[in-house]
Amino acid sequence: MKKKTPGYWALNVVSILLAVICLGPLVWALFVSLQHEGKQIKSVLDWFTPPYTLQNYPDIIANSGVPTWLINSLIIAVLVTCLTVIFSAMAAYALAKLKFKGSNAFFLYFLLGILVPGEATIVPLFITVNNLHLIDSYAGMILPSIAGSMNLIIMVTFFRGLPDELLEAAKIDGAGEVRIFFQVALPLSKTIISTVCIFAFVGSWNNYLWPLLCAMSENLFTLPIGIPTLAGTYTVDYVVPLTASMVASLPMIIIYIIFEKQIVAGITSGAVKG
Amino acid sequence: MSKARRRKTFLVALAFILPFFILYTVFTIWPVIQGFYVSLHKWGLMGKQDFIGFDNYAKFIGDKNFWGALWHTTFFTLITTPMLVVTAMVLAMLANRATKIKRGLRVIYYLPSILSVSVASFIAKYTFAPYTGLLNGVLHSLGILPQDAELQWMQDPNLVWFTISLMTVWWTIGFPMLLYLSALQDISTDIYEAASIDGATKTQQLFRIVLPLLKPTTWLVFLLQMIGCFKVFGQIYLITGGGPASSTRPLIQYIYENAFEKNNMGYAASMSYVLFGILLVFSLGQQLLQRRGEDK
Repeated sequence: MKKKTPGYWALNVVSILLAVICLGPLVWALFVSLQHEGKQIKSVLDWFTPPYTLQNYPDIIANSGVPTWLINSLIIAVLVTCLTVIFSAMAAYALAKLKFKGSNAFFLYFLLGILVPGEATIVPLFITVNNLHLIDSYAGMILPSIAGSMNLIIMVTFFRGLPDELLEAAKIDGAGEVRIFFQVALPLSKTIISTVCIFAFVGSWNNYLWPLLCAMSENLFTLPIGIPTLAGTYTVDYVVPLTASMVASLPMIIIYIIFEKQIVAGITSGAVKG
Repeated sequence: MSKARRRKTFLVALAFILPFFILYTVFTIWPVIQGFYVSLHKWGLMGKQDFIGFDNYAKFIGDKNFWGALWHTTFFTLITTPMLVVTAMVLAMLANRATKIKRGLRVIYYLPSILSVSVASFIAKYTFAPYTGLLNGVLHSLGILPQDAELQWMQDPNLVWFTISLMTVWWTIGFPMLLYLSALQDISTDIYEAASIDGATKTQQLFRIVLPLLKPTTWLVFLLQMIGCFKVFGQIYLITGGGPASSTRPLIQYIYENAFEKNNMGYAASMSYVLFGILLVFSLGQQLLQRRGEDK
């Protein structure tokens, strides 16, 4: 490396300043969640000064729907992720590796979906799900989020790149198509599966518009739907809503920090190759 | 391949495709068709009431609220997209410099993007709140804002769009930044070395080499962000509720209100078709661009 110029340090300062702006509101929310309720706030520094307490966390977990919403969010996100991966992988494998009449027609049909934004079909989707009597049920929350064109295309592209020889070898050994898929093709596609997992999980975890319509009763709320209901009850108080926000986000933040490299690689490769 | 074998492959393939095919048809394609059918009817939450042809579409002309909502969405897209493109590029360049803090910067710049829309909106709502909120508090402490003055970030019609835009950039900048970052990493270091040997300054390198090489990424980010901005709903709904006095209500919120509060699903479906049409043009543009990029 060459010697470090004033420009180098200036850009470092700018980088850090921008990082502080990115992180500031989150760190502040964390400190607010550690304050005693009803503390007098005379200047912004009072939000950051002790005495701290951890009592808000058990309080909110015991006295609000947050644990229920958290569990709902988890169940729905996990099921959406598993079903998305298995159904997309099966369909993609058939389209990419099994030679059969009509595979191109199917592929073109599945491509149409990238042009359909979910936001623009939310009203007829509600009517459809309502006709199936799935409004206000787990199935209604889960099923519409599974078959996405983007995930399918990513997987088709991947399977097409898988050398046929690997699969042929298994075929000669007498394995059927189903066994080849589960025992040869799937284990080879760990990276692409993790990409699709990230997309599916994060998409479901953060989904707002659909659960807002589909979940009618509070015991089916997910975190994104439940959290805002806390604002109405406690309009002046910052501590309860921001503690709830922290409870909702800390698991994701921790997972993100641990798996940052994989997540970033997954998102980038999915977006660029998709 | 024998006939029996071919037949078996065909059946296996169908079985593999079937679950995806059913879910995709019922929940993605069918609503598009159903939506058009609904838009030709007077349709309430309980179901079909009357066939009225294109009356729902004709209703747009006189509906000031529809044009208002469409304009809010458009205006939001016009101001936010450029902010997102420029900020994403700058952050990616800063996080791509050879420094010790490189990795930390990437983690932090992306961090707000993992928050769900309600948490991000909640945090923004309290950050922008007057009197005890974070932003006014910081401005007071730094002496930028006099102690007895408060900026009404979410109530003042002159500030509210800036607030929503700023929050959106903070919350969604991660993804476009990653796209730029991966494009920057694809630029070979040889090019910079060759340029330095030829005597090009850093500024010349930026404008003559880096920006032109980033052009395809910029187009991609621009179109993706435009599509994303046009779908705006959650953060506005949660931060301002579309206020003050409906002055920030976006199109999706107006669709939502018509369908689920005013019991007018037919009209909501016809407005959804307008949204669909606009987004279709954007997405076709993006697909064309990506195909062209891959052919090169």
